[in-house]
Amino acid sequence: MLYPLIAGVLFGLYFSLVGIGLNLVFGVMRIVNLAHGDFLMLGAFVAFGVYTAAGLDPLVGVPIAFALFCVAGLLLYWILVPRLQRARDPEMLSFILFFGFSQVIEALTTIVFGTSERSIPSRELANSLSGVRAAIFGGEATNGPFQIFGLSFPASWVVAATVSVIAIGCVYLYLYRTRLGTLTRAVMSRREEAIATGINVDRVSAAAFGIGLGLAAVAGVFAPFMFGSFTPAFGIDATVTSFVVVVLGSLGNPLGTALGGVVYGVSYMLVQTYLSSWADLLPYVLLIAILLLRPSGLLGRRVRVA
Amino acid sequence: MPDTLRHYLFIAVPLLVVLAVLPSVYNNHLLLFNFVIFFILAQGVNIIYGFTGYLPFGYVGFFGAGAYGFALMVMHLNSPAPVAVLAGGLVAVVLGLILTPLLRLAGAYFSIANLAAALAVLHLIANPALESITKGPYGVALNGTFNPTWAYAGAVLILALTLGIVVYLKNSSFGLALQAVREDSFSASMSGVNVVKMRTIAWLASALVAGLAGGVFAWYVSVFYPDNVFSADFSIFAIVFALFGGVATICGPLIGVIILYGIYNLIGFTTPQYFQLIYGLLIMGLVLFLPAGLVSLATRRGWNVP
Amino acid sequence: MSPDNVPILRVNDLLKRFGGFHALDGLTFHVSSGEILGLVGPNGSGKTTAINVISGLYAPDRGEVLFDGTSVGGMASHKLVHRGINRTFQVPKPFMSLTVRQNLEVARTYGRAGASGPSMSDLLEEYRLADVADRPAHDLTNVQQKMLDLVRALATQPRLLLLDELAAGLNPTELDWIAERIKALAKGGLAIIVVEHLMGFIEQITDRVIVMNAGKEIFEGTLAVAVKVPEVIEVFLGGEHAA
Repeated sequence: MLYPLIAGVLFGLYFSLVGIGLNLVFGVMRIVNLAHGDFLMLGAFVAFGVYTAAGLDPLVGVPIAFALFCVAGLLLYWILVPRLQRARDPEMLSFILFFGFSQVIEALTTIVFGTSERSIPSRELANSLSGVRAAIFGGEATNGPFQIFGLSFPASWVVAATVSVIAIGCVYLYLYRTRLGTLTRAVMSRREEAIATGINVDRVSAAAFGIGLGLAAVAGVFAPFMFGSFTPAFGIDATVTSFVVVVLGSLGNPLGTALGGVVYGVSYMLVQTYLSSWADLLPYVLLIAILLLRPSGLLGRRVRVA
Repeated sequence: MPDTLRHYLFIAVPLLVVLAVLPSVYNNHLLLFNFVIFFILAQGVNIIYGFTGYLPFGYVGFFGAGAYGFALMVMHLNSPAPVAVLAGGLVAVVLGLILTPLLRLAGAYFSIANLAAALAVLHLIANPALESITKGPYGVALNGTFNPTWAYAGAVLILALTLGIVVYLKNSSFGLALQAVREDSFSASMSGVNVVKMRTIAWLASALVAGLAGGVFAWYVSVFYPDNVFSADFSIFAIVFALFGGVATICGPLIGVIILYGIYNLIGFTTPQYFQLIYGLLIMGLVLFLPAGLVSLATRRGWNVP
Repeated sequence: MSPDNVPILRVNDLLKRFGGFHALDGLTFHVSSGEILGLVGPNGSGKTTAINVISGLYAPDRGEVLFDGTSVGGMASHKLVHRGINRTFQVPKPFMSLTVRQNLEVARTYGRAGASGPSMSDLLEEYRLADVADRPAHDLTNVQQKMLDLVRALATQPRLLLLDELAAGLNPTELDWIAERIKALAKGGLAIIVVEHLMGFIEQITDRVIVMNAGKEIFEGTLAVAVKVPEVIEVFLGGEHAA
């Protein structure tokens, strides 16, 4: 019982990171970014490139992926969004638009890299820090499993969970300690009024979109370790999983995602352990149940319901 | 002559006649069969998306359920193929009834919940624990009923039914009421329209034709795996074809299938990623430049397109 | 018909909560066929909520809505429409991509069954929509959309009509014109409830007003008397009274 619980929390923290970018974009722009999972997939390719081409610790991919996709997000925002907002049903159209975009990303990635599954040896993640780890926890400078309550967990899980916590902390600092973040929260909670008071919604949204994609790509850096391998087609599953996590924790509330992630991670690990043949069904059934029974998420306000 | 009859005589009947004659002059019967299937599915998407505004990302769920409805009838009850096709349609309608609560969700929430539902059905059927009933992930082989000629005829018949439904919706006050619900459900109910009943009927009609198409598909191919009949490509193609031509019309989805599925087959199955790239770009271009589909090129000029 | 007929609508002790906020708090009133009743009060006093409850958008948390002797509180909107209740919206929501004619066709087909009334072309003519009859609703001006919303409600052959700020945004000539139309509808036997901020307009058309504050009635009678009651004046102090 203890093992799946701890593993669930580790995975759950990681799942929070997977979903948080999607939720930030939704919260600010009321757009479901269906290409979210594809940015995760691209993040995984960044990690792969850092490791195979440059021979570096995949952890180096984190800042690279974040910077790269932040900029990509800003550019995309300015290209796509102004046109969308002139349409009559921007919510639905953007949904379809990002679906098309997700297809384009998947196709281009397939054309460049092929369809084969890729993986990175688990011990490579954060191996450059094993010296630091030895200095803190003692022991030898290796990248072996972590001991938690006498149970051992792959070091990569612990690293991913740690980076996720740091990243979520940064999102918190951004939202609550910076000026742009404060404006972002204003737009999230009362969009119409925020526009009426003259907040530059475009700037806030562009920033949220950039950060959202950046966070997705950072989550992607760890995907090869958390899911074992990845392919260009991995995006759509990642999108659905992110959506489950986000809906669990309440749409439009980025910090609720942390709770959603942990709940999802723990239930995933429990089902995996005790009902493994039905584990694949979990995210889908959970998603439908939550949407129908408690559309506002575990903590949160109302979702638009017809 | 009333419009209903005129539209059926001048749009549906010529198409059906051409499809009935083509197998005797053109050798690639599988291609013709696939065209018929996509005519049905694109019009099925038209029924639910075009007339009621619900975008069914998991539309393939009904198709797959229909295919497995057919397979189960044949495997376990030795039922004759036409009866099994009808059973496939019935299974899809039952699935549609179970999923009726999803219609409470608006916009993107519905689409994602519907996608999750289709994936849940796939994982249920493909579950090794149910091997004795569904053959699980190992797929089914139905030798006894194999008869491509009759299966093709059945598909054309189902297309005739589907076109009948669309022509009716296009020309009846029922179809008008559905579009009213799509535009604003509360104004529609204040016009006396029973919103819940109307959209449930459209939803089940759309499920029925996809289920019948799935049944006849199972009849035609006879050997298939869960991943074949639940492939997301069916949903994606059907939606893209319908959107591309223009929904809430009779001709739009047909034009969409002829042009896009035509291009798909010219590019060939060997490099699906190139087609994926093209249709991804097409979707994006459509949303940005031609959100009402190809037919809007004509309607913008004031021409009436049925 | 005279206003002192048997009331067609009675509302008893209506309560509607949103979270902890009581939008309606024991509202009681009635309206008869042929009568025009004004609902006035400051913003947030519960006027639109009252209309939303009577037209079936919300079910009341307590209290009774009696229409023609039957309790209809919480009944689905389309059923209320079939019984003869209809309304317009503060912000009209016509079926944007359908033509004006198609908008009305839906209401005529699915409205109150068996009722007969003016033909579609008469309605279009009367409410100045004949020229745009074949245009999609999103091409219409704001005032035209309001008229379409009104005609949509009328096309269902209502016996009780709830008008939620129909006059807002109309110019003085249009106001006089629509006031005459509303009075003519009441003469024809329709019971009408008007929610409005323009006091001149209320004065021009209503037989009686209910002044609301904080979800309940604080005055009932004619507007001429209402404006002399200290409690009413206080509620409106610095508010819309000047209008």
